Amino acid sequence: MQLYHNIENDLVIDVNEIHHRQQVIQQLKKHFRLFGYREIHTSPFEAYDLYVQMNGTVNHEEMIKTIDNTGKALVLRPDITIPLTQQIASHNTSITEDLRYFYVLDVFRQKQGTEAQRYNTQAGIEYFGNPSPEADAEVVFLAIDTLKQMRFKNLKMELGHAGFFARLIDAMQLKEEDLQLLKQYIQAKNIPEIEQFLKRTSLNDDIQEVIMALPFLYGEPQVVLDRASELPLPKDAVPALDSLRAIYDNLKAYGVEKHVVIDLSLINHMDYYSDMIFQGFIENIGKPIVMGGRYDSLAAQFDSNIPASGFAYDLDTLVSHAAITSTETTQDVDVKIMYDGEKQQESVQLATKLRKSDFETVLYPKEHPLVQTPKAHETVYVTASGVKCIDASGEETRYTNAETYEATKEKE
Amino acid sequence: MEPLTLALAKGRTAVDSLAMLENAGITFPNFHKDSRKLVFYSADQKIKMLYVKALDVTTYVEEGAADIGIVGRDNILEAGADVYELLDLQLGKCKFVVASMKDIDLTKRTSLKVASKYPVVAKQFFHKQGIQATTIKLNGSVELAPMIDMADCIVDIVETGTTIKENGLQIITDVEDISTRVVVNKASFATKTAEIQSFINSMKNSLEA
Repeated sequence: MQLYHNIENDLVIDVNEIHHRQQVIQQLKKHFRLFGYREIHTSPFEAYDLYVQMNGTVNHEEMIKTIDNTGKALVLRPDITIPLTQQIASHNTSITEDLRYFYVLDVFRQKQGTEAQRYNTQAGIEYFGNPSPEADAEVVFLAIDTLKQMRFKNLKMELGHAGFFARLIDAMQLKEEDLQLLKQYIQAKNIPEIEQFLKRTSLNDDIQEVIMALPFLYGEPQVVLDRASELPLPKDAVPALDSLRAIYDNLKAYGVEKHVVIDLSLINHMDYYSDMIFQGFIENIGKPIVMGGRYDSLAAQFDSNIPASGFAYDLDTLVSHAAITSTETTQDVDVKIMYDGEKQQESVQLATKLRKSDFETVLYPKEHPLVQTPKAHETVYVTASGVKCIDASGEETRYTNAETYEATKEKE
Repeated sequence: MEPLTLALAKGRTAVDSLAMLENAGITFPNFHKDSRKLVFYSADQKIKMLYVKALDVTTYVEEGAADIGIVGRDNILEAGADVYELLDLQLGKCKFVVASMKDIDLTKRTSLKVASKYPVVAKQFFHKQGIQATTIKLNGSVELAPMIDMADCIVDIVETGTTIKENGLQIITDVEDISTRVVVNKASFATKTAEIQSFINSMKNSLEA
């Protein structure tokens, strides 16, 4: 049989890497639980139809399609927020209950025309049922606080508002093609091209002034929001600023305001965001490490009225930049038992007891070792004349039998 | 305070860019363009400059190895880099054009073979026109491709258009204007806002002076 080299599998057998990854995941999960979130799981397969009906969410061409043996068209889970919201909406037309969920799951998307990464792992939370600025602030705080717990330094959370830009779009009435171009320029803070763009199109002076100011509406929240208020904004864009002000005031109570900046030119390509949106950066990583926001209008696509907000970390970026928390070398086991042939039964019993007390234990017959045995913190020789234990520093201790040795371990 | 890292594109606009930096009070005393060194520090030690190939500048910036880059818009577009593009230095002005041996009516074509040093730019342009373009990546003397019938047309940079004319080609249409830009890593913009904005402002003043 011809074996193909699977590049994507290379990481899987690097036990140190996997250990580190699991520790990061445990840290995240623990912290999410501390805020009352509970873990959920969604199916890796989803109906292709669900996503075909929804525009402005996942780019259809980026999804990985598959067909099951009944001929039904499926996609590999391209998003978690959408199926979760659909699930909740299918049971409720509106909710008053406060629901908090978190997940660590793979999401499958492939950039067009590339063979690059077909999936990445997302770790995120979704908070349903609470539309208040206090809830928004807590979600943003959790996104910051989890990173702080993981000892990331110099982190910045950029806070913007999807509704703010949506109202500007309404006021401009651009052709779809022009709109995409303008969005691209605004996301790149491409001031020279925005100027050129405005020269080409015949927008009224007020909206031109607002668009031109967007790339500069970045920085200290109070200052930016005050500056934005002085612009000739469309009337219906003003509440967005009030909402951001309220969220920022709440964030001050959490004492994280030094990590928060306002960016009114922030655009998320997921159209389901309706209100505040945010993205977080850590030093020297050019792409956001976390993205999120409020998406009250998503449930409406499933004929329900459910306030919701959430965020997701790009787990792979987190893992590759998180400090290693444990110094222990993961290949080493706690105890290695080497026994004389006739002591097998006694040694098996010893191993079982040690494992019950949470010691990683391996055992081998002393004669004819077939394999190179792993390193251990303690090596225990079980022989007819007694039990000898050699610890990592080479120090030797003798015991009369397996029980007396085991008794000392129980005390640890 | 850690120095800001600046990636500067080698090549035709390097000297002018450095002159503009000098106007803004940023000088690199140890720099001369034939030096084999790759890293230079400004006189006040506040800026560390990486002197790299133009094609690589956006990579350094996108990866966060450099906070700021000075590079032509041609390279930014071809790399499709996800960076902030904050300032037009108005240097090295030229444009992307489509050129060919004969006058092709783009509105009447549904497919085309295009030779270019910039296949991404070429493909995106024709895609917007609703034309299925097959691109051939060449690394130089792109004008040759239509002459020997290897491609229907080329997408290339022109400053004066002399090379195009000398090879018997004509410009069919303009694609996009190009000049030297200041690009910024998005995380650097967020985490070193004050330093970056002060750099941008001094460049802006130097530009207006």
